[in-house]
Amino acid sequence: MTVSELKDTLSLTPVTLPEGDREAEGVYIGDLLSWVMGRAQADNVWLTIMSNLNIVAVATLADVSCIILCEGVTLEESVRNTAEAKGVNILATEAPAYETAKRLTELGL
Amino acid sequence: MKELSLNVLDITKNSVKAGATLIDISLVEVGSLLTLTITDNGCGMKPEVVETVMNPFYTTRTTRKVGMGVPLLMLAAEQTGGGVTIESRHKEEHPENHGTVVTATFHTDHIDFTPIGDLVSTMETLIMGSPEIDFTFTHDMNGHRVELDTRQLREVLGEVPLDSYEIIQWIGDFLREQYQPAE
Repeated sequence: MTVSELKDTLSLTPVTLPEGDREAEGVYIGDLLSWVMGRAQADNVWLTIMSNLNIVAVATLADVSCIILCEGVTLEESVRNTAEAKGVNILATEAPAYETAKRLTELGL
Repeated sequence: MKELSLNVLDITKNSVKAGATLIDISLVEVGSLLTLTITDNGCGMKPEVVETVMNPFYTTRTTRKVGMGVPLLMLAAEQTGGGVTIESRHKEEHPENHGTVVTATFHTDHIDFTPIGDLVSTMETLIMGSPEIDFTFTHDMNGHRVELDTRQLREVLGEVPLDSYEIIQWIGDFLREQYQPAE
């Protein structure tokens, strides 16, 4: 499933979607960025509540397919712009990480 | 980083890469305020570079687009209500007196303060990895002081390299002993 399809199916809010055609595979949940950096797999959907610029860097390093910001977390404009420029997909939801993960499981991720 | 000692390792490696011959690592705890200072006499950075190391999309490595050492230290400090400052003198402008000072402050009573972790292992790893560099280390915990100065070790050891197994083990024991609370 592509990131764009994921967004439509789960009615997630698009924050940045420069590479909506990317295939999403597997899920990683975590907020300790150094931990995520070493453990998230390429193409994973990454669920987090962190919102500083470092998440864009970690997403780039781990090469995840997208970030889903949970629990209604929002981004500063400058972070959003950097994500757009670096080709990092970011979606957002009001649901907590656990609820979001359950819905991703139902989709077969 | 799960522990501050890993941030210390990460930041100090920058000093090693900068060609430092002497690196000072100092932690001072006064009440619930912890100040970490890493001082080196390496090549230093120009003002415009100092600005970019705080940005996660900067690195001296060519293998990846982003460098996370300083940004992760900033995150760890800022999430406790503290912060990071960097002062640097580049060797071109300060040929006699160049180097970098990274200072991070933490409020240890903040709920998001990450544990200090195993500083003894950090020192062992650093000395083992760069036995030709001199390290001074002090950790002052509200008056209880732990210290190590590899220059003093060298005076005693003469030609014996610091990265030999027995020396590293001795350094570890020496530091751990000092961390034992006074009887």
